[in-house]
Amino acid sequence: MTTPTRESIPSVTPALSISNLQFSYPSSTSLTIDIRVLQLAPAEQVLLTGGSGRGKSTLLQLIAGLMDPASGTVNVDGTDIHSIFNATRDRFRGQRIGMIFQTFNLLLGFSARENVMAALMFAGKSPAEQRTRAAALLDTLAIEGIDRPVDDLSVGQQQRVAVARAVACSPTLVLADEPTASLDPANAANAMELIQSVCHSCNAALLCVSHDPAMTARFRRVESLAALSGQAPPTTAGAAR
Amino acid sequence: MSDFTIIFRSLTSRLFSTVTTVATVAVAVALMLVLLTMREAGKKAFERGSGDMHFLVSADASPLVSVLNGIFYANPPRRPLTWERYQQLQRAFPWTYAIPTQLGDSYLGLPVMATSTEFFTRFQPNPGEPWSFASGRAFEKSFEVVVGSSAAASSGLNIGDVVYLTHGIAQSRQLGDASANEALHVHRDFAYTIVGILAPTGGSHDRALFTDVASTWIIHAHDVRKKADPAITTTTEADLTDSDRKITGVYLKLIAPPGSSIPTNFQQVFDMLRRDSSITVAQPGQEIATLFKIVSNIDRLFIAVAAVVMLSSGISIMLALYNSMEQRRRQIAVLRVLGASRGRVFGLIAAESIIIGLVGALAGTVLSIAGGFIAASALRDRLGLVIEPDLNPRSIVAVLLASIVLAALAGVIPALVAYRASVSRGLRPLG
Repeated sequence: MTTPTRESIPSVTPALSISNLQFSYPSSTSLTIDIRVLQLAPAEQVLLTGGSGRGKSTLLQLIAGLMDPASGTVNVDGTDIHSIFNATRDRFRGQRIGMIFQTFNLLLGFSARENVMAALMFAGKSPAEQRTRAAALLDTLAIEGIDRPVDDLSVGQQQRVAVARAVACSPTLVLADEPTASLDPANAANAMELIQSVCHSCNAALLCVSHDPAMTARFRRVESLAALSGQAPPTTAGAAR
Repeated sequence: MSDFTIIFRSLTSRLFSTVTTVATVAVAVALMLVLLTMREAGKKAFERGSGDMHFLVSADASPLVSVLNGIFYANPPRRPLTWERYQQLQRAFPWTYAIPTQLGDSYLGLPVMATSTEFFTRFQPNPGEPWSFASGRAFEKSFEVVVGSSAAASSGLNIGDVVYLTHGIAQSRQLGDASANEALHVHRDFAYTIVGILAPTGGSHDRALFTDVASTWIIHAHDVRKKADPAITTTTEADLTDSDRKITGVYLKLIAPPGSSIPTNFQQVFDMLRRDSSITVAQPGQEIATLFKIVSNIDRLFIAVAAVVMLSSGISIMLALYNSMEQRRRQIAVLRVLGASRGRVFGLIAAESIIIGLVGALAGTVLSIAGGFIAASALRDRLGLVIEPDLNPRSIVAVLLASIVLAALAGVIPALVAYRASVSRGLRPLG
């Protein structure tokens, strides 16, 4: 058996690369986040598990550059997101990172089309590009009544809009924060199927955090926050993707 | 999708709050504009009233009272001048005109000025603008009446109509106030015929009626004679005595050298006239300036109150936006997640505030046009001041700019709240 040399491995920039990331809230005496290494290859889908209040959402916000760590680096598509600042970082986030939330966090009062167009607008797309891309995406995801306020759509349709918005800018990385926590098992499976398939078709890496044990079966790679922090051994992979 | 779409949706999603805040700004702007407009228009109206005369001579207590009574019909002058005194004045200097005026009667609350035909041929209600008639002509003989434009409009008088004058003015100020008119003496033995209706001048004379002095002397002499002898049925000019021939004022204009509006002997004549303690000599322009000086403090107070109201409207913008921040923390957090920078979020809230201020200011400008007409109507009815409420473009621009600046400042605190909003708190699931 030969060991591949460094030169023989194709150099691929990871979608996400975290090293020595530490963060604690001012009111906390211990570290909320303490991750030595975490990498996601392009288009890789990873489930990150951890109990409630263990810092899963905080980690996603650190990755998205919405919070700054005490130390360590977070590289998204090869760029250390914390080395860029202010509007540049915000635009980078808009262009490279999509986010999906448990409660969807759609812009209420805006139509489905406008929700998707908003993501494209902040990524710097022209109004014409916004309209074309939003219409195509919403059509692909079979969202009906794209000009109706999202408040009037069914929960399932709202979730589709949230997914469409997250992948609107063809991001490198999609962060999903407990996307099925408020759904029953059947709907949770459907929602997760949608998110994973859309990310797959968009070639976007997916980091999904959840404390739902049933989710592990849907992912080939499952990481636990505790293991990443060196507190427990890593968990084994699931099946689906 | 644009920033404006986000602002528009935000404003319309809180429609009641937005409309009431815009209304607050509109009322404040309208109040300020009406006050500024009425101040300017009022000053112009006062300046217009005195026309091209140099002096107003009367027997009133002070020059200011003389101007208010003799030009603006505030009250009928109490102390008359004799016809003999008028003739002495007429002969004393070379005048362009020396026009006698007599006040004291009214028609339906509108003042009646008895004067000479020179009032129409020589006196100019606005310097350089002689009288013009909308219809008819000037009076040529006794018991003919010419009606000012505003008086004709409010009374409905037309050429050929016959009217009876009422003794006194103040108590019958309100048009159609039958009880007030009944308490006054109506000169029913003498009918006057309307022969002319004047074109508008924008001055106080627009709301008056004009007739000749002789007919006024006759109707008052008739009252005196009838009191002494109830059997008397008529009085003519031949029955008049010197004591009947009284006037209440004289409009005087000196002869100015060609190319100048100020006669060389202006000050000299003024000083000489003032030496006579039996008369009061007023320079209308100066008295109006004095009047504005007196009222300027009140004027400033009104403007200050309007400024405070504008400031309050700014505070109401701030409160409306500030109170909405708690409801909008999720929207702001989502915008940040989607790639909106803190600066852009700040700009969205500040722009929202500016738009409220701008829309309110525009609505206030429209409102001020209506308010100006209402205020002008009230001033005309209650003070007899004919005012054209023309909005001064400079005032509009200044107030609009002030509103926008105020709204922008009002938006700073809510915008800072949005700027500093915690994304993690905003994204936290409800419940």
